[in-house]
Amino acid sequence: MRYLSEYRDPKLARSLVDQIKRRASRRWTMMEVCGGQTHTIVKQGLNEILADQVEMIHGPGCPVCVTPLEQIDRALHLARDPKVIFTSFGDMLRVPGSECDLFQIRAGGGDVRIVYSPLDALELARRLPDREVVFFAVGFETTAPANAMAVWRARELGVTNFSVLVSHVTVPPAMTAILESPDNRVQAFLAAGHVCTVMGWTEYEPLAQKYRVPIVVTGFEPLDILEGIHMAVLQLEDGRHEVENQYVRSVRREGNQPAQDLVSRVFELVDRQWRGIGSIPRSGLGLREEFAAFDAERKFALDGIRATEPVECRAGDVLVGRLKPYECPAFGTLCSPTRPLGAPMVSSEGACAAYYNYSRYHATEEVAP
Amino acid sequence: MCLGIPGRIVEIRDDTGLPMGVVDFGGVRREVCLAYVADEVQVGDYAIVHVGFAISKVDEDEAHRTFKALEEMSQLDELEWLGDVAEASLEIGLAEAP
Repeated sequence: MRYLSEYRDPKLARSLVDQIKRRASRRWTMMEVCGGQTHTIVKQGLNEILADQVEMIHGPGCPVCVTPLEQIDRALHLARDPKVIFTSFGDMLRVPGSECDLFQIRAGGGDVRIVYSPLDALELARRLPDREVVFFAVGFETTAPANAMAVWRARELGVTNFSVLVSHVTVPPAMTAILESPDNRVQAFLAAGHVCTVMGWTEYEPLAQKYRVPIVVTGFEPLDILEGIHMAVLQLEDGRHEVENQYVRSVRREGNQPAQDLVSRVFELVDRQWRGIGSIPRSGLGLREEFAAFDAERKFALDGIRATEPVECRAGDVLVGRLKPYECPAFGTLCSPTRPLGAPMVSSEGACAAYYNYSRYHATEEVAP
Repeated sequence: MCLGIPGRIVEIRDDTGLPMGVVDFGGVRREVCLAYVADEVQVGDYAIVHVGFAISKVDEDEAHRTFKALEEMSQLDELEWLGDVAEASLEIGLAEAP
């Protein structure tokens, strides 16, 4: 086994589809939290195959998409600074700021570099001690251990020309915000498999109990998603609301303890702004005071940079499932991957990009019953 | 961004106190930080790798178990399907009987 291609077996997928069709007595509404799952669902057309059994609402689990405009503008400001080498995951480069994006800064001579790992950015700082290397530390709980390690190592190795621009968010507060919303329609969640690989699923147990909502920790391959949907449908049909784990090959109940330990030594919970959603209390991670020397916001005094989001972009409604990407008036016209209005159209995990790239945006697809 | 890819660990070493290693992703090899799985992995194990960090050791027993369960379910499904077909043709047969 290679633990990848096996989970794309069409025969097993058909069997799972049949089981879901057989068990669903009505059409259920569920949300996949993670943008990676959204892409599998839309690419494979799972939402269309199961259109009569489940309506899939695409959740906010795309870190690129929820990074606030203000933070993008701060990144752009840093990237323009001739002293700075601005490093980032490739996904962030095309995300539109108030005036331009990181690609355009690079085209104009800014030193913007794509790295695969935050440790690569740290290595760059060690090799070029005369430059200031800033890494754009975005992501959910999955990415937090990597970014925490880069900061931890920088301090350990005495690297002073390395800092991080942090925009970290966490999943459970966003799920709570969605469940608390008066127009919430979500009846079950497919929780994000890699977030739970790091964090485990104990945080989700009180959510499942309080809101009486089934939560199935789910992987990313087609068979994972179908099995996750199947498990959620069984719970809904039986009137259960538990946390179950579909992604057993990677997720344990307690998560990855060494990773959680380092994250909580380097980061602390802070209020965070979500692009299109607004501020959610204690929903993000910020560097602890003892790591202030590695905080780009403090090092470069970025506090004065403020921004307001464009009104024509409905990214916020898409991110909480109020709007399907193709229902946005700008979709495919004012907004496309080459000229995006909002991040969901750019990111490899964005719901708008998924619908645009896989051409699954027929207006007739989902007519409310 | 939470993309995680399974790969096979082919080398483990220590980089000034940081457990590092090389992971093979179907022929492509890459440096990976093993700090978060150091206590449980050996060369030859599979790990899920995210942005250059192994975040879990693939539980191969669980993976095989799930897969077997899925396959059995699928076979069961085929049997049921055959049953359905047989039943349906029987019904049709009865309906068409004079």
